[in-house]
Amino acid sequence: MRIERIHNGIVLDHIKAGVGIEILKLFPTEILRTKIDYASYVESPSMTTKDIIKIENIDVNPETLMKLALLSPSITISIIRNGQVQEKITPEIPPVVEGVITCTNPKCVTLRENYLISRFRVAWSEAGKIRKQCAYCEHITK
Amino acid sequence: MGSFAGRHIIDTADLSTSEIMELVELANRIQAMPREDANQLATGKILATLFWEPSTRTRLSFESAMFRLGGNVLGFSEAANSSVSKGETLADTIQTVALYSDIIAMRHPFEGSALAASTFSRVPIINGGDGAHLHPTQTLGDTYTLLCEKGRLEGLQVGFLGDLLFGRTVHTFVRLLARFGVKMHFFAPEGLNIPQYVRDSLIDLGADFVEREWTTSCIDGLDVLYVTRLQKERFFSEEEYLRKKNSYIINREALANAKDDLLILHPLPRNEEISTDVDKLPNAGYFRQAEFGLKMRMAIIAATLGVEV
Repeated sequence: MRIERIHNGIVLDHIKAGVGIEILKLFPTEILRTKIDYASYVESPSMTTKDIIKIENIDVNPETLMKLALLSPSITISIIRNGQVQEKITPEIPPVVEGVITCTNPKCVTLRENYLISRFRVAWSEAGKIRKQCAYCEHITK
Repeated sequence: MGSFAGRHIIDTADLSTSEIMELVELANRIQAMPREDANQLATGKILATLFWEPSTRTRLSFESAMFRLGGNVLGFSEAANSSVSKGETLADTIQTVALYSDIIAMRHPFEGSALAASTFSRVPIINGGDGAHLHPTQTLGDTYTLLCEKGRLEGLQVGFLGDLLFGRTVHTFVRLLARFGVKMHFFAPEGLNIPQYVRDSLIDLGADFVEREWTTSCIDGLDVLYVTRLQKERFFSEEEYLRKKNSYIINREALANAKDDLLILHPLPRNEEISTDVDKLPNAGYFRQAEFGLKMRMAIIAATLGVEV
């Protein structure tokens, strides 16, 4: 499979294999009217397998960067301008994330009182995974 | 008690160990006061008890505590009797009731509700139980019970028997005891073990705990046995409930190998997990526990109102 170079847009690389489809959902539906390359389970020396996404004519805002990192902490984002890599970003995950994640505990107050802004404490677990704990009910969302 | 004035009591994890001991000392002072003196402490103050789900013991304990401090009480005891049944949000209820009262004690079926309420309240919110999550006033009362009955926390061997998954009293209590060097033994029916987030907290706190299958020989060496009710509604079938319920009954026979001074506690209400033939034994501490809980709630109300005792 061949993934073509893009002139303007973003390249999302080192995505955890299989998570690419979830990553795409973070972007507005307008991207469906632009050119997208999506390769899944690509062999990678550093990750064994990974997903790669290229989207033309789009920018990413800080909130989307944070969401990308939460979905796949290994992700790198390259901003392409005029065929050149203008910037390469490895997004960091803040210790507290507000308004981004929805608690999966059906008894969490944030699901009943939907004006509340979700608040999660984020940390790396000993198993090397991201641990997202609701600040209200303490439930851990995977 | 200046540090408590105006504070919310949502989780005992928000209190330092010295603050917990301050509340214990305050409960001791209230316990030692002539009743007529205690009855002057909160004169003119109003406690709102907002209970979105039914509770007899906790609500009455809060109300009794306020009456014994000389204050007044208003509130509701189930959602059907409140503006919630008309679709009012938690935020609106709290902001309104905070205008009518000096302190709010609340129970709500949703987890994290007390913390959410505290962000909208200008008066102290006391968490009287939020779903299966936390129950800090029960924990503080239980801690006070252990100190009064055993004289110490450090080094105690405390067993927890029953539903440890949905039992909010356990979730809060074990995390407090972990901070005081208590060795904990968890005995739960399959599928009702302590939840992962509580286990993670215990590991983070460096707690000394083991999880084992219950047999009556497990009682050997325990200083305290804390029993909780198996909640029938948590089981998929009547048969499963009955089978597990019957394997977790504490009666005189089950206590054959217990230490003479084993203290048996239960947050109440109980079903059949503690046989009534245990009630007359000096080991049965659960009714004394309810009384210590009342004194601790008096201390919590006085402290958060900023009353000098």
